[in-house]
Amino acid sequence: MSSASESPSLIEQADFSTVPKPFKSESWKQSNKRYKNLKALVTDEQKRLASLPPSDDKATYFSIEAPPSLRPQKHWCDITGLPGRYKSARHGLRFYNVEIFKAIDEMAPGADQQYLSLRNANVILR
Amino acid sequence: MPPSIDSVKVEEPVEEFAPVLYPLRDIEKPEAVEPITGGWKEGVPIAIDFGSYQTRIGYANEESPSHEFFSQVSKFRDRRANRSYTLVGNDIYLDATARQSIKSPFDGPLISNWDATETILDYSFAKLSVGSRNGVENPIVMTEILGAPEPQRKFMNELLFEGYNVPSLTYGIDSLFSFHYNQGVNVSDSSHTGIVVSCGHEATHIIPVIKGRGILSQAKRINWGGRQASSYLQALLALKYPYFPTKVTPSQATYMIHDHCYVSSDYPQELSNYLEYSTMSTRERIIQAPFTEVVVQEKSEEELARIAEQRKESGRRLQEQAAKKRLEKLVQQEQELEYYNELKNRIASAPNKKEVKRMLDGEGIKDEAALQKTISELEKTIRRGRKQDVGDDTEEQVAPSFPLVEIPDEDLDEEQIKEKRRQRLLKASYDARMRAKEEKLLEEQRLAEEARKDDEWREADLEGWIKEKRDKLDGLLANVREKERLREELSNRKSHASQMRMKSIAVLASDSRGGNKRRRAAGAGDDDPDDTFGANDDDWAVYRRIANASDSEEEEEEKNTIKALQEQLLQHDPTFSIEDTREAQLDWRKSTIHMFLRGPHEFDPESRAQSHQLNLNVERIRVPEVLFQPSIAGVDQAGIVEVCGDILLRNKTIPYANNLFLHGGQAHFPNFEDRLFNELRAILPVNTSLSVKRASNLSFDAWRGMAQWSLTDDFRSSVVTREDYLEMGSGYIKEHGFGNALVR
Repeated sequence: MSSASESPSLIEQADFSTVPKPFKSESWKQSNKRYKNLKALVTDEQKRLASLPPSDDKATYFSIEAPPSLRPQKHWCDITGLPGRYKSARHGLRFYNVEIFKAIDEMAPGADQQYLSLRNANVILR
Repeated sequence: MPPSIDSVKVEEPVEEFAPVLYPLRDIEKPEAVEPITGGWKEGVPIAIDFGSYQTRIGYANEESPSHEFFSQVSKFRDRRANRSYTLVGNDIYLDATARQSIKSPFDGPLISNWDATETILDYSFAKLSVGSRNGVENPIVMTEILGAPEPQRKFMNELLFEGYNVPSLTYGIDSLFSFHYNQGVNVSDSSHTGIVVSCGHEATHIIPVIKGRGILSQAKRINWGGRQASSYLQALLALKYPYFPTKVTPSQATYMIHDHCYVSSDYPQELSNYLEYSTMSTRERIIQAPFTEVVVQEKSEEELARIAEQRKESGRRLQEQAAKKRLEKLVQQEQELEYYNELKNRIASAPNKKEVKRMLDGEGIKDEAALQKTISELEKTIRRGRKQDVGDDTEEQVAPSFPLVEIPDEDLDEEQIKEKRRQRLLKASYDARMRAKEEKLLEEQRLAEEARKDDEWREADLEGWIKEKRDKLDGLLANVREKERLREELSNRKSHASQMRMKSIAVLASDSRGGNKRRRAAGAGDDDPDDTFGANDDDWAVYRRIANASDSEEEEEEKNTIKALQEQLLQHDPTFSIEDTREAQLDWRKSTIHMFLRGPHEFDPESRAQSHQLNLNVERIRVPEVLFQPSIAGVDQAGIVEVCGDILLRNKTIPYANNLFLHGGQAHFPNFEDRLFNELRAILPVNTSLSVKRASNLSFDAWRGMAQWSLTDDFRSSVVTREDYLEMGSGYIKEHGFGNALVR
C-alpha cells in the first residue's frame, strides 16, 4: 500500500508498540511470573493472612465481605421476575401463574437448570 | 344483532400508537486516535484512577482528568501486513480484529495481568507526554480497591519504583476521594462524616467515614457490580429470547442497563402490575437490533389475479375429485351393506346352526352379533357419508334412464353388454347420489326441528336452557384441555400416556398377538388372504392411537360446536359476555408471557424488524434490584440497605445518617437516592436526620478528589518515597485517611 506510507491508517497511528517510552527505567526488566488468576490471588492472600497474627481492626480483603442477609428472603418468578408465589416441584423453579407453569413444563431439557443458575440454585455435577 | 365471534375484539383501552424503538447501542468506533495532551508538567503529581472498567489519568493541577479510557489492552498480529499491533484503551475500538483479543489487567476486582497493567501505565505516561528520561519524575497517586491484598501493592510498587523510577507514590480508595471532593475542603467539618456507598464495576463497597477518615474495619463489600449486572442481563435476555438472531454482547448489555434500567421506589408494589396490558406501554422499552429487510418481489395486479385464478381452478378440481371419490366409496359401501343384509336374511332362513356357522365362517365373521355390528357400523358410515358433498346435487331434475340395466345379458350383444356395465355403474352412483340427497334433506329437517325445539325450550325455561348449554360448553372445553394435556404428556417419555402408546406399538409389532379383534378371529397372519384388516375404515384408528398427531377433522368439528354454543350463549345468556369466550381468553392481551416477551403489541413472526426486537420490561427494575436484594441473583449477602442500616444502628451516636453518599457507575440509576432514603427512613429511629446524595460527577469525582488531595501537605506526608521503599520493603505504605490499612 503506497498511500499508507504517506498518511498512516488509524490503526497504525494508534499502534502503541512503536511509541517510544523514554520515561522507562533503563534497568527495568520484566519478571516472568506476570499472570495469576483471581482464584490463585485469593488463595495466596488467604495463606498470607493466615500466617499473620490475628487482628480485628484491620480491614482485609476477606474481613470486609458483607455477611449473609438476615431478612426473610422474598421469592420471585424465575422466568419473568414477577412475584413467585409457587414453586414447581419437578424443576424447583418459582413461577408467577399457571400460564408460566405451563411454559416451564414445556421447557427444553436443561433450560430449567439455566434459569436456576441465574440465582446459583442449579445442580452442579462433579 | 350481537357481534359474531369472528369480529370480537377486546376493547382497546389505550390508543394504538407506534411504539418508540431504541437502538441496540454498543461501544462506538472512535473518530480519532486518543490524542496526546499538553506538555510535561514537571513535579506536578500525576493522579491515576485505575479502575477495572475505565482508567482516568491527568496532572493534579487540572480541573478534570485529561484522559478517560477503557482499562483494556489488545495485542494482535495482522497476518496480511505481517506485523503486530498493541492497542490500548479506546483505541482498541478503532479496529474490529483488535476487539477480539481484548485483555483486561483485572480478573474480578484484583489485578491479575501485570503485562497489561504495565502497558496501560506506559500508555498513560506517554499520553501525558512525560518528558523526563530514565524515569517519571512526578509523584504518583493511584487508586486501589478496599482491602487490596499486600502482594498486589508489592507488584505495583515494584513496577512504579523500579520500572518508572517514580520519586514518591501513594494509594487511596476511589470512593473516599470522591466523597472528599463532594463535601468540600474543610475536612474537620461534620460534613465529612457519613457513609460512602460505592457501586463499582466489580463490587459494591459501603464505607463509614468519620471526619474524612474511612473506618475500614466496619466497611463492607457486596460482590455485585456493573460487570455482574451486565452478565446477569445478558443471561436473562439469552433465556428470554433463545432464538434471537444476534448475540447480545456484554457491552451492549452494559449500555442497556445504563440507558434503560432504574431503581424501583417500591419493588413489590411496582412489580405486581408491571406486565398489565393497560399500563405497560409506559414501562416497556423496545430495543431494536439492526437487521436487513428482505425485499419481497412485488407482483403485478395481473399476475396476482392469474395466480388466484389458478389456485381457484385447482381447488375446484380437487374438490370435484374428492367428491367423486367419496361418491365411489359411498356406492361401494352401499353395495357391501346390501350384501350383508342379504346374508343376514339368508342366515335368518337357514335351516340349522351348523349351516349358519358355515355361512359366517365363509365370510370370516365370528358370530351373528359381529355381523349385526358390522351392519350397523356400515349404516352409520353410510349415513355420515351421505351428509358429505358427493358431487353436484343441483342438476339432474329429470332422472336419466338406464334402459339396458333391466335386460338380461343373453339378449344383448357384446357391445351392449359393455354399455350395460357402464350404465349399471352410472345407475348405482346416481342412486347413491339421490339417496345422499334425501338423507341430507332429512338431516336438514331434523336440524330445523331441533332448532325449533331448542327455541321453544329456551322460551319456556331460559335458566334450564342456559344451564344445559353452559354445561355442554364446559364439557367441550374440558375435552379440549384434556386433549392438550394428553398431547403434552406424550412429549414426556415417562408419562402414562406415552407408555400406553408404546404398548400399542409393541402389540402391533408382535405377530403372535394381532392387535385387531377381527384379525384374531380370522386367525390371520401377514400372508393370510382372508386378512380383512384395513377393509373397514375404523381399523386404521389404531394408527391414530399410536401416532402423536391429533385428529384434525374431529377437532375442527369440536371447534365449530364450541363456536356455535358460544354464539348462542352470547345471544341469549345475559351473564355470558365476550370476555367469557374462548377466543377472548386465549387473546394475547391476557397472556403474561406475551406481555413479557413482546409487550402490549401484537407479534408478527414474519416481521424481520420484530424478530430483531428485545422488549425490556421487568428487567428494567429487576437488574438494579440486585443491589438491594442480592439473593435475586443468588448472591448470599445482605443488600445495601441492610448493610447501611446495620452500620447506622450500631453507631447511633455518630451522625453517619447525615451524609449518605453514592458513588460509582451503578449509582446513576434514577430513583436510587429516593429508594435508599425511604428504606433507611423505615428502619432508623424517628427524628434521625437523614440525607442521601449522589456524587456530582460519577466518573470524574474520584479523580478530582485525588488530584485535589495530592496538592496538600497531607499528601506529602502520606507518600512513600523511593528511600522508604528501599528501606521498608516493597509492600510498604503509609496509612492515611483515604487509604487501606497496612496488614503485614
